[in-house]
Amino acid sequence: MTRLRSALRQISRVTAALTGGFALLLLSGCNKVHQVFSLSGPQSTMVTAGPVAERQWDLFMITVYVCTFIFIVVGAVLAYAQIKFRAKSEADEHAAPPAEAGHGNPFVEIGLIAGSVALLVIIAIPTVRDIWYTHDVPEDEKVGAMDVTATGYQWWFKFDYPTEMVKLPSGGEAPLSTGNELVVPAGIPVRVQLRTVDVIHSFWIPKLAGKVDMMPNRGNFLWFKADKPGYYYGQCAEYCGESHAIMKFRVIALSGADYVKWLDNQKKSARTVTAQSLADEANVPHFKFASLKDVGRNSTLSGSPDFDADPFAAWQKMQAPETGESAQLIAAGRKNFSDKTCITCHTVRGHEGIGIAGPELTHVGARSSIAAGVLENTSERLHQWIKDPAYFKPGNKMYHGGYIDVTTGQPKFTLNDAEIDTIVAYLHSLK
Amino acid sequence: MAQAIAKSDYTGAAHAPAKPTFGLFARPTTKTGLVSWLTTVDHKRIGMLYGGFAIMFFLIGGLEALMIRTQLIVPNNRFVTAQLYNELFTMHGTTMIFLAVMPLNAAFFNLLVPIQVGARDVAFPRLNSFSLWVWVVGAILLNVGWLSHFSDLFAGFGGAPDVGWFGYSPLTSKQFTPDLSTDFWVLGIQVLGLSSIVASLNFIVTIINMRAPGLTMMRLPVFTWMALVTSFLLILALPAIAIALVEVMFDRNFGTNFFEVSGGGQPILWQHLFWVFGHPEVYILILPPMGYVSEILPTFSRKPLFGYPIVVFSGVAIGFIGFGVWSHHMFTTGLGTIATAAFALATMAIAVPTGVKVFNWIGTLWGGRIVTRVPMMFALGFIWMFMMGGLSGIMHSAAPADAQQQDSYFVIAHFHYVLIGGATFALLAAIHFWFPKFFGRMVPEFWGKLSFWLIFVGFNATFFPMHFLGLNGMPRRTWTYDANMGWNEGNLFATLGAYLLGLGIFTYFAVLVWSFFKGKPAGNDPWDARTLEWSIPSPPPEHNFAAIPTVHARDAWWYEKTHKEEIAMEKAEHIKAEESHGGIHMPDQSWYPILAASGLLVGAYNMAQFRHPLSFFGRTLGFDYGNSADPLHPHHFELGHVHLAMTGLCILVSACYLWSLEGPGGYHIHLDANGNATESRGGYHH
Repeated sequence: MTRLRSALRQISRVTAALTGGFALLLLSGCNKVHQVFSLSGPQSTMVTAGPVAERQWDLFMITVYVCTFIFIVVGAVLAYAQIKFRAKSEADEHAAPPAEAGHGNPFVEIGLIAGSVALLVIIAIPTVRDIWYTHDVPEDEKVGAMDVTATGYQWWFKFDYPTEMVKLPSGGEAPLSTGNELVVPAGIPVRVQLRTVDVIHSFWIPKLAGKVDMMPNRGNFLWFKADKPGYYYGQCAEYCGESHAIMKFRVIALSGADYVKWLDNQKKSARTVTAQSLADEANVPHFKFASLKDVGRNSTLSGSPDFDADPFAAWQKMQAPETGESAQLIAAGRKNFSDKTCITCHTVRGHEGIGIAGPELTHVGARSSIAAGVLENTSERLHQWIKDPAYFKPGNKMYHGGYIDVTTGQPKFTLNDAEIDTIVAYLHSLK
Repeated sequence: MAQAIAKSDYTGAAHAPAKPTFGLFARPTTKTGLVSWLTTVDHKRIGMLYGGFAIMFFLIGGLEALMIRTQLIVPNNRFVTAQLYNELFTMHGTTMIFLAVMPLNAAFFNLLVPIQVGARDVAFPRLNSFSLWVWVVGAILLNVGWLSHFSDLFAGFGGAPDVGWFGYSPLTSKQFTPDLSTDFWVLGIQVLGLSSIVASLNFIVTIINMRAPGLTMMRLPVFTWMALVTSFLLILALPAIAIALVEVMFDRNFGTNFFEVSGGGQPILWQHLFWVFGHPEVYILILPPMGYVSEILPTFSRKPLFGYPIVVFSGVAIGFIGFGVWSHHMFTTGLGTIATAAFALATMAIAVPTGVKVFNWIGTLWGGRIVTRVPMMFALGFIWMFMMGGLSGIMHSAAPADAQQQDSYFVIAHFHYVLIGGATFALLAAIHFWFPKFFGRMVPEFWGKLSFWLIFVGFNATFFPMHFLGLNGMPRRTWTYDANMGWNEGNLFATLGAYLLGLGIFTYFAVLVWSFFKGKPAGNDPWDARTLEWSIPSPPPEHNFAAIPTVHARDAWWYEKTHKEEIAMEKAEHIKAEESHGGIHMPDQSWYPILAASGLLVGAYNMAQFRHPLSFFGRTLGFDYGNSADPLHPHHFELGHVHLAMTGLCILVSACYLWSLEGPGGYHIHLDANGNATESRGGYHH
């Protein structure tokens, strides 16, 4: 019996060693192990780019220090007890238990409770301080702060600039509106009013600020400040239905001067390309940004190398009209954009588009992403997106309701590759 | 204190005769076969049924988890569609909480509580059977939607529920989830809540009223204490979600505006109601596991539990403060500064009693003689993993930092450390520990330890990298992700870990099945343990104790083992006293609990789709009557689900009514000198 037990113990030790070894193998076999524990992605909460996210990260690190300290101390005691007080013999395993009376020690217990409370106070003080700091723009910065409104839709974001009015072609004024890419000035606090037209969404730009939900029938808001010009990734963080996982957006922070340039261009009506206008534009200098070189190079990203090498620079490049535009193709695209009923959901200010169910497209050619941050805004991707939106974003309304009648399931129009190419050319001309 | 013996046993008055109200539903007396299981009132059989169903759903929930991990193994994967993925994570959460961990705890309440308090059954045996079958009804309602993926006949269900286990309004409104899956989810959770409330009342009465002589509250085994606290949490927390679910049901079906945004409803109200249930629910899941661990650690340390009163008190404190921290699930909903600060501090406060428990477990090990058998390994694994989950929980209490972690993979890592590393490790320890008691066979140590290491390594490989995925900005409930987000390696690693974890779980249960048939006989007390269940045969006879024990110490069985003569004399007296009052009184089986539950199934299943016409293989059912030629008043009666829903309600009400007429029934067991049992029936005592 004893022999059997010692054999079993031997076997179990070998098993433990083998399993541990397997785990190590798994760890070392994966030559990108540092990437398993990577903290430097485009949505990293560690590589912060503004004071709100920075405060949140610093507070998080305080909790990490305190908790690691607790874990090491308690873990050391636990590990010591496990090793030191092992049963060493058969007799030990059946040792008579000690008397239960008075088992426990009030001084030890009270000491440990007091110690725990003291450690928690270390976390509590900065927590309370930062709750107030992260809640709203600090008093002394309120004067220069800027307001924008972000509205969640299933599954994209609309951004309105309530203080930036644009003249409508039909007369009158309306706030500047754009979709999925929020452009703000760097170095200025931005207060984002959070609204939703349907379910709950959550507005999260990890490098700039923690999330706040867009609650129906509630006036939530958050604030952030981008320290430097740059290109930041954001994403919806509250489950909002079928395509929640791919409801993304971008925030582009520009220097003050660049921001003014960007606003001026956005306030213009849609660019109309004709053979004459192309000839005229060849003589004027293209849209240029002063801060092209000095920012946005902190990314260590995989995939789509051209764009990811420097998304901010790529975005800036998108602001200028493409070379080799064909006025004929663009005109055909503009017609198809009408004929295929795209205009009923999308606004192209100054052109035919008047719909408001989908994102505003007046300057869509100048955006770096499409389909709510899911795809890069290249001709190829835009073509694929228009061809099969349901593939990239299941359940989206452009397909369900736009392309097909939801009650009958029948397509509302036909669309061939050549037609799509014209629409792509048209949309990309809208700088 | 001998409440375990019915009052009539002392007075010698007549038991109500076990007369059949209907011949068809006469109280069955068969002890084997299907009928005996369907009509059982034996707490051990009910516990095993709970356990069996729960393990089945635990494996189903695990399979759903593996599909989720497989979808995320590489970026932009298309293993499942977005819709199916949403159904999978909704049902994974719902299943693991309501259909795996909660019923596994219920299984152990049933198996252990009556024995640990020295009773022969729970206070209300038929009600106990009713809880079980109502739970089964809830489980069916939640899962019935899966059928639509297998047969077009059920296409109208629109798949399994896909609103998340939290079902945040307004996503649950008719506008955004028009199909039936949400109706089934609402009714399924509602029915499960009913089951839990009924069972909790039963256990509260059992623990308070049916303790053996000498078993004062401060001598109760810690597990039974935790069962008591959990039962109170359930009856206090469940009404909140019950109300919220009724409101959703009314919004969806009867045009009310509790959460309807267009009607001025407040979706935030759902979150408050849900989490005022949902946070105590976390403790409902974790307090019983703390109880198992508090039983297992002293047994294998050869030492009583360190600081018993403080462990008990901290359990009660956790239960109490647990009702005051719900809004820490809502730090990002715009609570405002004051409320956020208050809930952040309350959340930190609840860490203190939780920490106290860990300190006392370590105190129990200190100076003991630690025997590392399989249950002990899982229990020690529990302490380590629960510590990690608890500490990452403290990180979340810092509300501004939580604004980054909330709804990210960091949270997933945190609560899986609590619910797998904590609750599940403790449950696996408990299954291994009490398996010999209830099946009479040992589980081989080697295979148990192998499964422990596979589970331990697999679990950490799956969930540890998720902390970093969360810090790196990966949100939860993510059907797919792009390749340039820096999440590829972490997800690949986590998925491989999940496969290893799956292999470990498979090994664990495969070994249990093998042991059930081929394990070595266990004997009454294979672990040299401390509590009363180890003083009786394995598996326990239906009457549990030949003689109701008298309890002299917290570790009652350790005391009995060292005071054999005293105990033998007491027992002889108890047996004599009991026999003079007619013998061991046992409750009769009954059809009415399962009949009432089946009424609930018919009612709720049809209530979920009550506006839909009833179709049978594509045909609607109905008939014409009178002058059917009149086009304005077609005399056509169409049978709808609403009629069946009413039928179900009628079955439920009449079953309950007939149940009340059935009388208490019961029979007596007489033990001879060798412990052989004979039964006697009849209206009067000898």
